[in-house]
Order: sequence, then C-alpha cells, then structure tokens
Amino acid sequence: MKLNPDERWDLIDSIARHVVTYGEYRHTLKDAIGELTVKPMTGLPIAIAVMYCFWSVFGSFAGTLCTDGFFVKLFDGYWLPWLQEVFPGKGGWIYSILIDAGGMTNGEFILSDNCFEAFGVLTSGLFVAIGVVLPAIVIFYLMLTLLEDIGYMPRLAVLIDTVLHKIGLHGYAIVPTILSLGCNVPAVTATRILETRKQRFIMMTLLAIFIPCGAQLGIMEEVIPDLIGYVLLYLVIGYFIFGFILNRIVPGKSPEILIDVPQYQKPMMTNVRRKLWMRVSSFFKVAVPFVLLGCVVVNVLYLVGFIQWLGDLLAPVFVGWFGVPKETAGPLIAAFLRKDLAVAQLSVIEMTQYQMLSAVVLVSIYFPCVATFAMMLKEGWKELIGSVAVLTVVVFLYGGIIHLIGKLLGVA
Amino acid sequence: MAEKNNFVMIGIAILGLVTVAFGLADILVSVVGDGTGLSIIEIPGDMFRGGWGGLIVLFAGLFYLSGCKNVAEVHNASKVVIGSVLIWIMAGTDIFAMITESIPGGEEGPWFNSLSGFFGTYAPPYAPAIFLLPFSLVVVYYILKQERAR
Repeated sequence: MKLNPDERWDLIDSIARHVVTYGEYRHTLKDAIGELTVKPMTGLPIAIAVMYCFWSVFGSFAGTLCTDGFFVKLFDGYWLPWLQEVFPGKGGWIYSILIDAGGMTNGEFILSDNCFEAFGVLTSGLFVAIGVVLPAIVIFYLMLTLLEDIGYMPRLAVLIDTVLHKIGLHGYAIVPTILSLGCNVPAVTATRILETRKQRFIMMTLLAIFIPCGAQLGIMEEVIPDLIGYVLLYLVIGYFIFGFILNRIVPGKSPEILIDVPQYQKPMMTNVRRKLWMRVSSFFKVAVPFVLLGCVVVNVLYLVGFIQWLGDLLAPVFVGWFGVPKETAGPLIAAFLRKDLAVAQLSVIEMTQYQMLSAVVLVSIYFPCVATFAMMLKEGWKELIGSVAVLTVVVFLYGGIIHLIGKLLGVA
Repeated sequence: MAEKNNFVMIGIAILGLVTVAFGLADILVSVVGDGTGLSIIEIPGDMFRGGWGGLIVLFAGLFYLSGCKNVAEVHNASKVVIGSVLIWIMAGTDIFAMITESIPGGEEGPWFNSLSGFFGTYAPPYAPAIFLLPFSLVVVYYILKQERAR
C-alpha cells in the first residue's frame, strides 16, 4: 500500500492520538529530589553521605560480622590447628607450601598462631579467599548494584563530570573507577565506555595504579583499620595529580558527553540477584586461583632464598628512597600475584605506623596484579607498555614523595 | 491553613537547628579525638563516624533549615526530604553496625552471642542520629501526605 504525504501525516496524527497523553506537566517531589542530587551545592553532600553509607555497611558486614565475627574464629581456632596437627612432614617443603611456612627459632620449627602468618595454600590462601575476600566482595557488589538499579550512578556521573574533565575523563569514568574498587579486571573492560584512546589509556593507567580492589580493601580493613583512611587519601590525591599530568602529556581528545538521567526507581530483586551472582562468581573464577597460586609461588621464592636475595639487592632503594624495611621486598613481589596477600604479608613485618602506611600505599600503586595485567594486554599491548612506563615513574616518584612527607612531618 | 504552615515551618526549623548542633558537636568531638557520652547520647570521637558522619548530620540540618520556609512548595519539600534521608543514612548505618556486633559471640566466646549480650548491644547510649530518626520520619510522612493531596 502506498500513501501520499497527506495520508502519511494523517496516519501519524492518528497514532499520536492513541499513544500520546496531553496534559499539564506538574513538577513532582520525585523530580525535585532528582534535581537536588545532580546540582553540585546539594548533590555533593548527598554523594558524601552515600559514600559514607557504602563504607560503613562494607566495614560492618565484611569486617565486624563475617571476618572478625566468624571466619577468624573458624580458621585460626579450628582449621589451622587441625591442619597443623594432621598434616605430616612438619618443617618440610610441602608442609611449608601447603600448611604453614612457620619460622625457625634456635633450630626449632615454630608453628604460626594465625592464618595471616601461616602463609600456606590451604591456610592463608583459603582464609584470604573465603574468610576475607568473599564477604567484602559480596557486600561491595550488592551495594554497587543497588546504587545502579535505584538510578543513582548516572547522577553521580553528572555530578562528578566537571572534576573528571580536569584529568581528561568525563562523568561516566566513575563507573570503571567504582567497579575497580571491587576488582580491577572488569573495570579494565569497563573503560570501553570511554570514547577515545586517550581517555581509555588514562583511565586504565589510573585504575591499575591508584585504585585498590575489594580484596585489598577487605584485608586493609582487617589488618590496618586505623590507617585505611590515610592510605585511601594518598591514593585519591595521587589519582588526581597524576591524572592531571597524564591529561597534559597524552595526545588525543577528551570529548563531552550527554547523559540520559533516568528517574529514581525501586530496584528489581531478580535483577539485583542476577547481577550480584554474575559479578561475584566471575570475580572468584579469576581471584581464587591467583590467591592460591600466589601462596605457592611466594612460598617457593622464600624457600629458595630468592626473596632474601632480592631484599638485600633492593635494600638501598627500599630503605633509602621509600623509607620502608627491606623485608617489604617479599610482599612487593607477592603483590604482582595478589595484592591482598601482599598486604597480609606486610602486617606481620615489624615497622612503624608510617612505614606501614608507606608500604601499603606502595603495594597499591606497584604493578597491577597479574589478572589485571593480562586484561590490560587484551586491550592492547601499546597501552600496556605505556601504562607500565607511567607506573614505574609513578612508583618511584610518589613513593619518594610519601617518604619525604613523612620526614617533613617527623614521622618517617 | 497559614497557621498550620507556620506551625510546620517552626517545627522543621527547630529540628534543623538541633540537627546542626548535633553535627557540629560530632565534628568538634572528633577533632578533639575523644568520644564523649551524656547519659543516653554518645558522640563518637573517631574521624569516620564523628568527623565524616558529623559532617553528614550537619548537612542534614542545613537541608532542613534551607527547606523549612515554605514546605508546601515542592522544591523546599524536596530539601526537607533529603535532610531526612541523610539522617536515615546515619541512623541506619549505626543500627546496622549494632546488629552486626550483636550476633557473633566475641573472640574468646561461643560462636553466637548470648541472649543478654545480644540485647545488651542495643542498650543506650545512642548516637545523635538515632534520636533524630523519629522526627525525620514524621516530617517525611507529613510531606508525602501533602504530595498525595496535591
């Protein structure tokens, strides 16, 4: 059937009469609340409150209830002593790798008291993966999914757009940034929502260097709860300073964006459940093998004396430039496999509070874990080499600056 | 009607002033660095709950004060609702923290807390936001009723 232009317009009018409702637009309370969350004067206090809620719930659920409340007791009180008792070959290689690396005092093999010190695959490895990381990741992704489904994330993107433009990104860069606080691996993939190569490179580099993953946050919450705020402060400052510099030196464009901000809505529980399951399961497929493998590799490196050798070799850099004990060389190598394991290792090294703060910041900004590394390689080898070059400079510069700040404050 | 609006305005203004005072007290106490308790009210002294949390309570008070003048108007009403939401966030996270503390039996104790230990966790003193919670609920109930009538 062919229609002439008049008939087409008549048809359009007829459809419009059926599907369009005409009436007076009324500004509702919901609209007004939506507006308040994107205006800087009112939106920033709300964003500060949302972030507070996020971290408070994270700490209470993962730290107080799950890890401290049940898992520490289960692993340190039952699992570790049972394995120490039933596993044969105390002091041998297999025993050290799987159960307890322990320590030698006056020629006698001393067993560890807790899973943070044991560093065996079946003890520390499982404790970190199940006792610390699992609750941290579950609550982190649950909160993130709720914020997404309520409709708050696009508003946060609008709110933070101006600030992120200063570092060559735009508001939607908040998505990989926050995702990265859960795990850097999906966050690297999420950088694809940014339009240009320049933006993707800046984002990937910044999240690989300055954003600690959920596993690392969970461990920090457990072993250095008093210092976690300062660690995050150093990382946030570094994120913006080095983002600003990268924006100046990396060639390319940083275009504007137009965001469609949806209305606030009640989250659908089936959606929340699906998203949560998808994120937690994919995280565990990536993280658990690396946690366990990390334990094996680090233990072997310790046993063959490689860590001791490297610590001695790098001692001038660690002690003189970064201001941390040379024993931190081991955790820094472990950090390449799993950063959460590295923080756990740092917690048993004797050092001052400021040294601990510097060491944890170093572990965070040091090479991304091997899973993130592989994901970055998938995004392009040129980007990976560029990111690693930036990272090397940042580690030396920022590590030195943190030491200098400590010296100026008289705490280093 | 005008009299009723004046009454509501005064109520929200008083709530706003009290909230601002609590927020400032939270921040000051956390700057000094030592938590303090006044019978059933406890002001936390740490930078997270006292400092960051205090700032949120202060913002809630400012939202109440900026929206109290003509709460019948939708933009002012939304500010008052946001003030209440901030109070809910503070009180909600405090209550959630109490719940997570009340369930486990402690480092040396049994797996689960005893019944007396469980209920003991919920005993006063409470943070200021918990005292502000019922008032914030009343305010939002009034605004939603008004919105439905519109």
